[in-house]
Amino acid sequence: MSATQLKSVGDSSWRKDGISKVTGSEQYAPDISVDRMWYGRVLRSPHAHARIVSVDTSAAEAMGAVCLTFADVPQTRYNERIVSTPPCLYRDRTVVADKARHVGEALVGVAAPTEELAEKALRSIKIEYEVLQVITTIEQAQKDGADPVHDTVLLNGEDKPIINNVAVQRTIDVGDTVKGFAESDFVIERSFKTGRIYHAQMEPKTVICQPEADGGITVWASTQSIHNTRILLGQIYGLPLNKVNVKKVALGGAFGSSIQMNSVTPIGVGLALKSGHPVKIATTREEDMHDHVRYPSEIKLKLGMKKDGTLIAGEMHAFEFKLKQYVGLGGTFWGQGPASKCIIRSDGVPELLKTGAELINWDKRPKPGSQTGRMRRGIGMARGFHTSGVGHAKASGAEMIDYSGAIVKLNEDGTVDLIQSLMDHGGGTNHAISKIVAEELGVPNHMVGISPCDTRTSLYDVTTHATRGIYAGGAAALKAAKAVKEQIIDWAARVLDVLPESLVIEPDQELGQGVIYCPNLAERRMTVGDLARYLHLNSLGTISSSQSMRQVNCPPAYVSYYVDVEVDTDTGQIHSRRAALGSDCGTVVNPALASGQLIGGLSKGQGYALTEDNQWDPVTGELASKGFWVDGKTPSISESPLVADIETHFAHTYEPTGPFGAKGLGEAAKNPAAAAFANAVYSALGIRFYELPITPEKVLAALAEQAAGKTARAARQAPAPVPVAE
Amino acid sequence: MYMNTNTRIVSPEFDFIQPKTLAEAFSLLEEHGATAKLLAGGTDLLVQMKMERQQPSHVISLAKVKELEGIKAGDGLTIGATTSISAISKSAPVKARYAALREACNAYSTVSVMLMGTIGGNLCNASPAADTAPALLVHDASVILKTAKATRKVPLKDFFTGPGKTVMQPGEILTAIELPEPARGSGSAFLKISRVVADISQVCAAVMLVRDGDKITDCRIALGSVGPTPVRMKHAVGALIGQRGTPEAFDAAAEIVARDITPITDVRATEKYRRHVARIIVRDALLTAWQRAAEGAAK
Ligand SMILES: Cc1cc2nc3c(=O)[nH]c(=O)nc-3n(C[C@H](O)[C@H](O)[C@H](O)COP(=O)(O)OP(=O)(O)OC[C@H]3O[C@@H](n4cnc5c(N)ncnc54)[C@H](O)[C@@H]3O)c2cc1C
Repeated sequence: MSATQLKSVGDSSWRKDGISKVTGSEQYAPDISVDRMWYGRVLRSPHAHARIVSVDTSAAEAMGAVCLTFADVPQTRYNERIVSTPPCLYRDRTVVADKARHVGEALVGVAAPTEELAEKALRSIKIEYEVLQVITTIEQAQKDGADPVHDTVLLNGEDKPIINNVAVQRTIDVGDTVKGFAESDFVIERSFKTGRIYHAQMEPKTVICQPEADGGITVWASTQSIHNTRILLGQIYGLPLNKVNVKKVALGGAFGSSIQMNSVTPIGVGLALKSGHPVKIATTREEDMHDHVRYPSEIKLKLGMKKDGTLIAGEMHAFEFKLKQYVGLGGTFWGQGPASKCIIRSDGVPELLKTGAELINWDKRPKPGSQTGRMRRGIGMARGFHTSGVGHAKASGAEMIDYSGAIVKLNEDGTVDLIQSLMDHGGGTNHAISKIVAEELGVPNHMVGISPCDTRTSLYDVTTHATRGIYAGGAAALKAAKAVKEQIIDWAARVLDVLPESLVIEPDQELGQGVIYCPNLAERRMTVGDLARYLHLNSLGTISSSQSMRQVNCPPAYVSYYVDVEVDTDTGQIHSRRAALGSDCGTVVNPALASGQLIGGLSKGQGYALTEDNQWDPVTGELASKGFWVDGKTPSISESPLVADIETHFAHTYEPTGPFGAKGLGEAAKNPAAAAFANAVYSALGIRFYELPITPEKVLAALAEQAAGKTARAARQAPAPVPVAE
Repeated sequence: MYMNTNTRIVSPEFDFIQPKTLAEAFSLLEEHGATAKLLAGGTDLLVQMKMERQQPSHVISLAKVKELEGIKAGDGLTIGATTSISAISKSAPVKARYAALREACNAYSTVSVMLMGTIGGNLCNASPAADTAPALLVHDASVILKTAKATRKVPLKDFFTGPGKTVMQPGEILTAIELPEPARGSGSAFLKISRVVADISQVCAAVMLVRDGDKITDCRIALGSVGPTPVRMKHAVGALIGQRGTPEAFDAAAEIVARDITPITDVRATEKYRRHVARIIVRDALLTAWQRAAEGAAK
């Protein structure tokens, strides 16, 4: 089927949760309140590294509060993110910590009838710390005699020692790099540094846990996966999964920060179980900023290439500073495609590059270093990708867990319920999937409703990560819709007395219904609603299907960025003026929302490129921002180019393995941003930057060096490509 | 212990009182003494209470005291203390005659803060980064401070004494800000540098120039975020008055400013960057004000 024949998929329809979101009636986890509910707060460590000598909660308890210390929680270690199978799942976490390993580590939970009382009680708790060596750099951590941050780590039931603070090393070798470099015409070696970025999701991480009379629990939580949250809570608190019910509520943004079970979730559960009251914990912005981060990185890159620019060899050493200060060489950013191979069956890159170049006037871009005035314009481009899902990934003998489920059922009036646990981060994933279902069934888009659900009433979905929502989750829903359609056709064939093969279903916008008809017998027709009523009134049962599936491929979703910046050489400020953003996401399920993803990616990526770096003090380990968002320097709409100056465009591709040809988009939307901005600044100034963010201070310093006649910066940090000796 | 610090939960208890008249407000202030705090828009006070930098026993809201709100234009301008930043930025007389003040109000970080925040709160909070302060300094504003018994008028240049500190006495309420009529042939401008738009200033600067032909006959320059209080720059002004208004003269004056200020390095900027951009924005503001003075004289 070509995309042009599609009815629901491909139009920019209003998202089904749009009205509830813009009117403020949508319920997010922080909006949930239940009867007899208490409020929880979390006491967090002011020290980066400290042993807890004693905890005195007596004053808090005297105020009527219930406290949860390390002694009160199950001592088994877990990994809060369970998308890998046990052979590569390193477990080092407990509900509250036995020792502070970073500033802001959760140490004691407190619950009380009001949040104010909980806060007061929290402040009355006395903890005696034995302060240990603060480790904030890779070098410090690996030195002989450095204080171990974790003594051991649990892997597949085995307690593994950690030597010099290195828990795991991963080396990925593909091909023969020695030969590759030897055959290269040029070899370049560069070092890059990236900043420490707060996810800045709008929703403060929240949990509400209600203990049930049968010993079970009901949980509302900020999460990207209600099922993984359920499995972990069951494991930690020793509850069978049919006694743990996690509700799906709208998620106010995540950017990957709720891919794991959030740290407050099991604390809320522990407090509820201990107090016997439902307990709600909604984090403050400040504690949230201490709780998760995009790790800063230092990357040493060596590339070998041919004269025509073909890259033939590469070597990369990446160090990421984990929030937890143990060091994982080659660790990866959450949600950033794990070791998975993707098979490319659709490629819109050539089209993206061509269209983007035309939109931004690439041919007229300023020659680097050619301008002299105060304000200098520059155009830069970069492209990137993200796999759609993880495919069939085997790494170090272990598996990535990756499957989705969906239930589709036909209601008694011909409307359809889509029941799917897959979380929507706010980008419109659930809406897009409902369109895929409508498309397959041949009913108008508005006929398919997205049902509220929970872990008891839905099938497992791993998590909305790795740009897999539409590609993997949409494929599962499509599978269920296909099965439902088959039943609809079968029943209609009997009622209309024709062969099933002769029937088609198409949406009729006037009737607002799907119409089932036989193209060559015009009078044999009925609406899907007519059929549903017939089945109901004759007690013939409900048409439904519940399906699970794993996508075995994970096609790359490509993105291209062309950005136009204006550099103020007097203040060093870089202004983002225009952008042309292209996406190859296969069939575009909802163009308006897909554009929104790209524009959002530009905003977030611009922060990464130009302003954000939520660094800590190397001596104390405290955040320089102290957790205050105003000092996190997240760009807002004011830093964005005018909407009219952002062009979005899509490649005309069709991914054969995706639902109606669709692939992913989400994370890819941001990936090329930093490189595109750095290239644009180079175009404006003739100066290369290899450290993010490119702040006004760095720009002024580089301009001063340039003016002093030495392009020393460029020379020192970026040697020109070295011709390889013949 | 900073880890408990947050900007959401007000945990200490306090009494909230909402007087309807100024007289009532004075008697409440007298009754509850030094532990009471006045509340205008609350965009500074509430944050400080949540962070436990302020723990008042009583919070006295000025929201219902109508006599404190509004803008009166005549010979000069009188702005009630609880007038919102947003109302000032939209005011016609401000737009026509007090460009620096208007630009300072428009430079506020976000719409919500402009709607809630008041000019009186901005001054009484006495942050070195208060955006309206440098603008009001170059407009030569004075503040009216009242108690139940007395009223005094203090020139704004004598009002600030340190970060968070002013000459106000216990029991006093700032009721209004008075701006004299701008001199004929004058022009003013305000500029702010911040990391992102929704942020307080790394440096901000306001200037006012009076021109007679191509000569500068009067001048004021004031900066924020470059020392313990908003400051007026004497040496730079001295170098300009009586001179011709040329780019070179403005550049030279801006350089004096960059030398005279006493900025620090903090999370928002380094001392070096502050000095560098102070020079840039003072120069740019002088050029703009000079241009405006010519346009004003032509009208
Ligand atoms: C997110 C955010 C962004 C901000 N951005 C900016 C910015 O860009 N520029 C800027 O300058 N400021 C900014 N601020 C600071 C603040 O908004 C301003 O200083 C504002 O003008 C304060 O006014 P208010 O009415 O809210 O003061 P309040 O918080 O009500 O009061 C501040 C102080 O003044 C006292 N007070 C108030 N009125 C009187 C009176 N009439 N007499 C005596 N004492 C009084 C109060 O007791 C209190 O101590 C920002 C604040 C926040 C939270």
